[in-house]
Amino acid sequence: MRTKRSLQAAALIAAAVLLGLLTVQGTYALWSASASAAPGTVASASFDVALSAVPSGQVTNMTLANGQSANLAINPAATLSPGTSVYGGVAVTNNTNAGGTFNTTVTAGQPVMANVSGGSLAQYVTVSAKAAATAAECSATGSYAPVGSSGLVSQPVAKGGSTVFCFQASLSPAAPTTVKGQAVNITLPLTARQLCGVPGGC
Amino acid sequence: MKNSTLIKGTAAIAVGAALLLGGGGTLANWNASASQAPGTIAAGDLNVVNATSNGTWTDRNGQPVTIGTYKVVPGDKLTYTQDLTVTLVGDKMAANIATTGISATNGFTPANVSVSAPVLTVGEDPVSNPLKPTGSAQTVTATITFEFLSSTAARSDVNATYNFNNVGFTLTQVTQSGLS
Repeated sequence: MRTKRSLQAAALIAAAVLLGLLTVQGTYALWSASASAAPGTVASASFDVALSAVPSGQVTNMTLANGQSANLAINPAATLSPGTSVYGGVAVTNNTNAGGTFNTTVTAGQPVMANVSGGSLAQYVTVSAKAAATAAECSATGSYAPVGSSGLVSQPVAKGGSTVFCFQASLSPAAPTTVKGQAVNITLPLTARQLCGVPGGC
Repeated sequence: MKNSTLIKGTAAIAVGAALLLGGGGTLANWNASASQAPGTIAAGDLNVVNATSNGTWTDRNGQPVTIGTYKVVPGDKLTYTQDLTVTLVGDKMAANIATTGISATNGFTPANVSVSAPVLTVGEDPVSNPLKPTGSAQTVTATITFEFLSSTAARSDVNATYNFNNVGFTLTQVTQSGLS
């Protein structure tokens, strides 16, 4: 009895396998064709912003090759005396290689002043800023204003275009003679940001 | 006895000859013939090829883009379109068209890009499998979108690449009633 059942089971399995194989073979036997497309490679752009200082003439990319932020020295040509101002500026150029539209805005943050060598000059110095079209406008005294909490924001800078930030450092007429010969480091953070080009917002 | 055997043999031969003669008489009766021309059996056809050697890329505004030189920025959305010519011939022909998907080499941060699977359409409508012969070649359009998300922060994925490699399409005959 046991042998007979085994034989029956084996026959059933064999029949099932045969049926399965026939089914599979039938599917493969039908025609098929294929085609392939090569859409290519999508490459992203660089986000390069070039900085050029006036009057120092220093030129750098905003982001260095190692990914760190660059430091740009403006170094005003003149020295401060009570009641006078010195000027400097930085030209910011949108140097991206983007294929489409790539507008940016550049923001100059609030200045941070630090006395050099333990001096006390910083409290008598005020910094104002303005946006301009050319660096030559920086020495024109008009339209300078203190940098607000949201910073000084440029107009949109298109691909290949540039904008100029002018800075004015003024020494209070009330500055005492004790600050004579002292120096102050003024740090102004610059930030470039891509403008949203997506309809309906980003 | 010997003569008897001889006589019997001769008689047998005579009977055989008579039978043969009778057979010859059958050939002389009416006969007729006809021929049929079953005709020629012709096989149908099944094929899928790229309608053009290269598909086209367009930007979000529908403007053409040369993908070899175009550089995407966050917010860019590019669409790839490739027309496929499908040939189906056969009275019981029916076939499914499908894509084998994208096996890309992605140099972007995955969270910063959104790439759609290939979408197959006929005209404006999604492809309705199985396709059947229409009497002429049919055009199936494959579309892929690549979006560099505007949520990309800082300088993420500058100078990155996304290589689509090859995107495959298969046209496979499906069995119909009357086929096995």
